Amino acid sequence: MNSFLRKNIVMLVAVLIMAAFLIAAAQGMEKQDFVITLLRGLAVGSITFLVASGFSLIFGLLDVLNLAHGTLFMIGAYLGWTVVVRPDTFVDMLTPLALIVSGFALGDVYPLLASRIRLGLSMRRILPWGMILVSILLFGFILPRYPIAIWDVGNYGQSPVTFAFMADSGARLPVQPAAFTEISAPLAVIGLLLASILGAFGISLFDNTPRTVRLSWKNFVSIAVALVVALVGLIFNDQLSAFFYCLNSNWLFFIAVLVATLSGVALGGLMEATLIRPLYSRPIYQLMLTLGMSAIGIEMVRAIWGRPEFVMPKPAFFNGGGEACPATNFADWWTNHCSTILLFEGRVRVYNEIFIPLVGLVVLISIWILLQRTRLGMIIRAGVQDSQMVEALGINVRRVFTMVFALGVGLAALGGVLGAPSTGLSNVMGESLLLNALIALAIGGLTSYPGAALGSVIVGMIQQFIIKYGQIGIVIPFTDIIFKPTPPLVPASTVLLMVIVLLILPNGLLGKKE
Amino acid sequence: MENILDVQNIHTFIGQYHILQGVNVRVPKGSIVALLGRNGAGKTTTLKSILGLTPPREGKVIFNGQEVNGLRSFDIANMGIGFVPEHRAIFRDLSVEENLKIAERKKGDYLRKRDFIFDLFPDLKRLIALPGTSLSGGQQQMLAIARALVPDNQLLLIDEPSEGLAPVIIESMMSAIRELAKESTVILVEQNFLVASQLAEYYVIIEEGRSVQDGKMKDLAADKAAIHRFLGAA
Ligand SMILES: Nc1ncnc2c1ncn2[C@@H]1O[C@H](COP(=O)(O)OP(=O)(O)OP(=O)(O)O)[C@@H](O)[C@H]1O
Ligand SMILES: [Mg+2]
Repeated sequence: MNSFLRKNIVMLVAVLIMAAFLIAAAQGMEKQDFVITLLRGLAVGSITFLVASGFSLIFGLLDVLNLAHGTLFMIGAYLGWTVVVRPDTFVDMLTPLALIVSGFALGDVYPLLASRIRLGLSMRRILPWGMILVSILLFGFILPRYPIAIWDVGNYGQSPVTFAFMADSGARLPVQPAAFTEISAPLAVIGLLLASILGAFGISLFDNTPRTVRLSWKNFVSIAVALVVALVGLIFNDQLSAFFYCLNSNWLFFIAVLVATLSGVALGGLMEATLIRPLYSRPIYQLMLTLGMSAIGIEMVRAIWGRPEFVMPKPAFFNGGGEACPATNFADWWTNHCSTILLFEGRVRVYNEIFIPLVGLVVLISIWILLQRTRLGMIIRAGVQDSQMVEALGINVRRVFTMVFALGVGLAALGGVLGAPSTGLSNVMGESLLLNALIALAIGGLTSYPGAALGSVIVGMIQQFIIKYGQIGIVIPFTDIIFKPTPPLVPASTVLLMVIVLLILPNGLLGKKE
Repeated sequence: MENILDVQNIHTFIGQYHILQGVNVRVPKGSIVALLGRNGAGKTTTLKSILGLTPPREGKVIFNGQEVNGLRSFDIANMGIGFVPEHRAIFRDLSVEENLKIAERKKGDYLRKRDFIFDLFPDLKRLIALPGTSLSGGQQQMLAIARALVPDNQLLLIDEPSEGLAPVIIESMMSAIRELAKESTVILVEQNFLVASQLAEYYVIIEEGRSVQDGKMKDLAADKAAIHRFLGAA
C-alpha cells in the first residue's frame, strides 16, 4: 500500500487538485451551470484525447512528432461531412481512391519482383525516379479528367455552405451526376491502377535491403479488396448513390464515421510507408516534412471544400425536437431522441455533451485493452522503450510502426468526424486542436497513454470553466469584485497551466523519467 | 568442424565512424566462443553487426551456410539467433512473463519452454507477475537470457552477462550458460577473463575494431603475456 502511494503520488496529488478545483468551481456557480460545464469539458477533452492519444502513440514508438496530425483530424471531419451531405460525391471518389491505394497494397511483392530483375548500377539509380515520374504524370493526366460530381466552391448557391445548410434543415439540393466525357472509363481505371503500381514499385526500390519474402495468397488480399471496391464503385455508381441518398441520417452518420476513420488509417499507413519511413535517420527533415504535409493538407481542404465554415447535420438519433422535448430522463429520451435532455435542471445537448464523452470513454478503454492485453500492444509498449531490441527478437518492427502510425491518424480522423456535428467545420479546426492536444500531452506526459487522457480532460475542463466564468463572472474571494475572464484567457490559461506543470514536473503529470 | 557462423572480414560504420575494420569470427557448431577485448574495442558492435542491427558495409556474415549480411534484423533473428544485449535490456514496461512471451516466434513457444527456463532460473518463477522495473540487476540479467531461450535458437549472442553482478550470482549465471550451451551454440562477450576462460572453448580478441588473434581458450589461458598485452588483465 505504501509503495502504491509513493509510486502514484503525483497522480493522487493531481486528482486532489482537480477535485479541489471542481469543488471550488461548484461553489461559484449554479448546479445546472456546473453540470453542463463539466460535461462540455469532458466533451472537449474527449476530442482532444482522440488527437492527443494518436499523436503520443506515434511519438512514443516512432519518435516522430507528427505536426500534420491536426490537419489529418480536419480531413477526417471534411470526409465525414462529404459522406453525410454529398454521398454521390463520396461514391464518385470511391473508385479513384481505391485505385490510388491499390498499388501500395501490394507491399511485399515488390522486393521479390525487384530481386528477380538484374540491372546495371546506373539503371538501378534511375529506374525508381523514372517510375515515380511516369506515375505522377499519369495521375496528373487522369485525375483532373476523372468525373466526380461535386459542389462548386465559387458559386454560393452550389457551395458546401448551402449544401450543408439545406442538409441540416432536412432538405437536399438536387445534384447533377457526372459522366465520363473527357476520358473513357476503362482507360481511367487502367491508367490509375498502372500509375499506382508504378509509384509504389518505384518507392519500394529505394529500399534495397534484400528480403526473404515468401509469397502467399495473403499478399494479394488487400489489392483484391481495393480492386473490388473500385469496380463496384464504378459499375454500380448510380445505384450506390441512390442507396446512400435513401439511407436515414443515422446510418449515413455511422458510415461517415467508418469512412473517415478508415480513410485516416489508410492515409496514415500510406504516409508512413512512403514519406516518413525514408527519413528515420533524419528526424529534422521528418519534422519539416510533417509540417509541409500539414500546410499542403490545409490548402487542399481549402481548394476542395472552400474557406467558409459550415455545419454538419447531426444524425436524427440525437436531433429530435417538438412537444416532448427536452427529455426529462433517459427513458423519455430514448423514445423521443430529443436533441437535449434535462439533467439537474440544466439543458444538456445529448450529442455534444453525452455522446461524445461516451465515445471518448469507449476509445480510451479499447486502446487500453489493445495496449495491455494483445500481442500488438505488448510489442508497442516494448518498442516505445527499445525498438531495436524488439527487432532483434525477430519482430518486424517497421510493420508495427506503420500500423501505429495508421492507428494514430485513424484516431485523429475519428475525432474530426465525431466533433464536426458539434463544432462545425473550418480550415483552422485542425491547428487549434493540435495545439490543445500538445498542451494536453505536455501536461499529462508526452508518451504516457493515461497521461494523454488526463491531460486532455484537464485542458477541456479548464477551457470550458473559464468560458463559463466569462459569462457569469467569478467572485474574487474576500472581495466584492466580480471578475469576468475574457475569451483570450481561454487558451492562455491552459498554456499557463502547462508552464506551471512543466516547471514542477518536467515530464508532465504521468510521464516517465528518462 | 562445421561452422554454424562465419564472420568474414566485416567493416561496420556508425554514422561516419569506421567502427569495425576487419573482424573475423568462426564459430564451430555447439561451442562457446568468447569475444575478448578492452572497452570500446568493438565487441558489442560485432554482435550487432551479425544481427544486422548495425549492418556491415563490407564483408560477409554466413549463418548455417547462408549469407545473411544485408538482410533485415528480424529476418536474421528469425533464422534462429537469440540476442542478450549488454546492460540487461529487458522491457521495463512489461511484466516478467510478458518479457518472455514477446520473444515467441510461434504461438506456444513460451508454454513449451517454460519448464526448461524455470529449471535454469528458479528465481524467475516466483517473479513472473512482477513488472520488469522491480527486478534486481541479477534477476534482470537472468530474464534477458531467459528471453533468448523462448524461441528455438541455434545461436545465442550474449553480451557481458557478468557485468555488475555479485560473485555468487556470477556462479549461478555461469552454470546456467553451461547448461544452455548444451542445446545451442554461444558467442559470449566477456570482460571478466576468469569467467570467459572457464566457459569458452575458443576465443577471438578484438582490438580497435579488428580481430587480432583467435584460437583455443586453453592456449590463451596459458599465455600470460598475451592476456596482459591484449586485455590488460593478469
Ligand atoms: N552510436 C555510436 N556512435 C559513435 N560511436 C559509437 C557508437 N556506438 C559505439 N561507438 C564506438 O564504437 C566503438 C566500439 O563500441 P562497442 O560498444 O562495440 O565496444 P565494446 O567492445 O562492446 O566495449 P565495452 O566493453 O565497453 O562494452 C567504441 O569506440 C564506441 O565509442
Ligand atoms: Mg559492449
